[in-house]
Amino acid sequence: MKGKMAGSSIANGRMAARAFTAIVGGYAAAAGCVSLLARIAPVDRAEATIWAMTLSFLVYAGLILWAFHETRLARVAGTIWGLAFGSVGCLWLLGPML
Amino acid sequence: MSKAASNETPGVRQSMAWIHGWLGLLAGWILFAMFLTGTASYFRPEITRWMQPEIDLHPVTAATAADTAVAHLQKVAPTAEQWFITLPDARTTATRIFIRERPNPDPNAKPAPRRPERRLDPATGEEVTARDTRGGEHFYRFHFQLQIPHPWGRWLAGLCAMAMLAAIISGVITHKRIFVDFFTLRWSKGQRSWLDAHNVSAVIALPFHAMITYTGLITLVAMYMPWPIQANYKDPATFETAVFGAEPDAEASGRLAALTPVAPLIAKASEEWAGGRPATMVVRNPNDATATVTLYQSAKDRLNARGRSIVFSGVDGRRLSASPPPDPAAETSGVMLGLHMGSFAGPVLRLTYFLLGLAGTAMVGTGLMLWTVKRKRPGAAPFFGIRLAERLNVGAIACLPAGMAAFLLANRLLPVTLPARGDVEVSIMFWTWFGLAALACVRPIRRAWTETLAIAAVAFLALPLVNALTTDRGLIRSVVSGDWLFVAFDLAMLATGALLGFGAWRAAQISSRSARKRRAAERPVNPLREAADAH
Repeated sequence: MKGKMAGSSIANGRMAARAFTAIVGGYAAAAGCVSLLARIAPVDRAEATIWAMTLSFLVYAGLILWAFHETRLARVAGTIWGLAFGSVGCLWLLGPML
Repeated sequence: MSKAASNETPGVRQSMAWIHGWLGLLAGWILFAMFLTGTASYFRPEITRWMQPEIDLHPVTAATAADTAVAHLQKVAPTAEQWFITLPDARTTATRIFIRERPNPDPNAKPAPRRPERRLDPATGEEVTARDTRGGEHFYRFHFQLQIPHPWGRWLAGLCAMAMLAAIISGVITHKRIFVDFFTLRWSKGQRSWLDAHNVSAVIALPFHAMITYTGLITLVAMYMPWPIQANYKDPATFETAVFGAEPDAEASGRLAALTPVAPLIAKASEEWAGGRPATMVVRNPNDATATVTLYQSAKDRLNARGRSIVFSGVDGRRLSASPPPDPAAETSGVMLGLHMGSFAGPVLRLTYFLLGLAGTAMVGTGLMLWTVKRKRPGAAPFFGIRLAERLNVGAIACLPAGMAAFLLANRLLPVTLPARGDVEVSIMFWTWFGLAALACVRPIRRAWTETLAIAAVAFLALPLVNALTTDRGLIRSVVSGDWLFVAFDLAMLATGALLGFGAWRAAQISSRSARKRRAAERPVNPLREAADAH
């Protein structure tokens, strides 16, 4: 993500893909995962919902940092988009509880 | 391990340093503005009071203020759908009222024009008129809306706050010697000094920076992260009712019934809240058989900013319902909100909040400076990115304070009767800010620092003078009459001006030093002279 390749158009494209994955994919993955937890956690609905909302930013920040730390872009994209589509897919199948 | 392998997976510290630098730079200019205007917002009611020097009200009890406000509303809008009354306290001295008219039953009729919020003297219930200004509300709104149309300003502010959060986490991971840096500040050593200043301002107040960033995100969590609600509830209103209690929503019956006196309700609520005071009173369907009075508890005497509420009957004063006591998660998020806004803070803690906010502003500012200083190669012409970053640094760090001073100066110098005066004040702030920033772009960079900092310093130093000339609440009068708000405000402006003036002086020194160095480097070398100097 840095060093010799910087400046070439391939490197720029890869950095753009990484940033998009981190910012947009990271948001979708964080939102999906905390919502899924809020949906399936065996505690009071309102409490689970508020805990999920409150902690979501920490999950998002962690995903952003990891997306730039891990050098293999394929792994970053696979994990983050996998989490995003996986969690949102589960939520779609489950539907709202109340 | 081979060198190639270690190149492939950089250490966590290196990758975090890299992302810390880029996150900090890209979000830094907006974060600087958010930090500075947000810090000023800890004195939001005080700034508003300074900006309306005609108003000099004396505090009364909540019950008196509620009685006078209801008497006023009975005169002007006895059949409105709702009355919103924000009661005064020691810091906000006027009662604020807002009237929601009953919608016209005829669907083709034009909707009634929205009545603006009005302010009343809490002692008499008379309407208070003063110069039109946004007051401290302007800095407060700007710090999370950035003067960009809804909802984009809030989204941009949220994105920058996320960058800040990630930058704080990566900054801590990068950092090896957090304890040592607490005590290390080396002045006048160029890049080293900027790094030290960045570390000191970051480390001293690290818990505050982390707290204020995270809780800032929590203030707008319902907008940024509504998805857990969607995952659990078909209708978000169900969630709100479960957490905050049901709002009364009865339609007016059309049967007249006199409104119950409100002072006893305030006493009852205060008793239920163990001495807590109400901040807001909402009267629904006043003078109707279905009237209700809802009292919302003030965040000023509790850490949880989401106060409890009680609904009373507006006819006989019976207690109808109340918000449920908060469960742990609701309590946590309410306390986070309270920690961000600091409404609970008394004068000393409030000043501490303010100083920590300034430390946060300094952390962002020194980080921005460090980014450019670190990448400059001595002797080489800086590339475009550095020159751009340098100009944006001047634009944020020196020109924003100048714009804020211009906003306050405009408040004193614009004619009181000018139409849309409040909006003109705001435009003057942005014209000054961006105008100066544009001007700084065509000046040599060192000069740009000296000049814009000096302009900002002069603007702040001029404020006490202009205030003394345009109002009857100048510094000497304020000291004599014990008008401590105005005394403190003038002193704060002088201190800010002095600080900016010091900055201008330092920039001028560095500028002349680097000019001397440049001239020395350009001089043809005389070996004999060098030898003589060495002896």
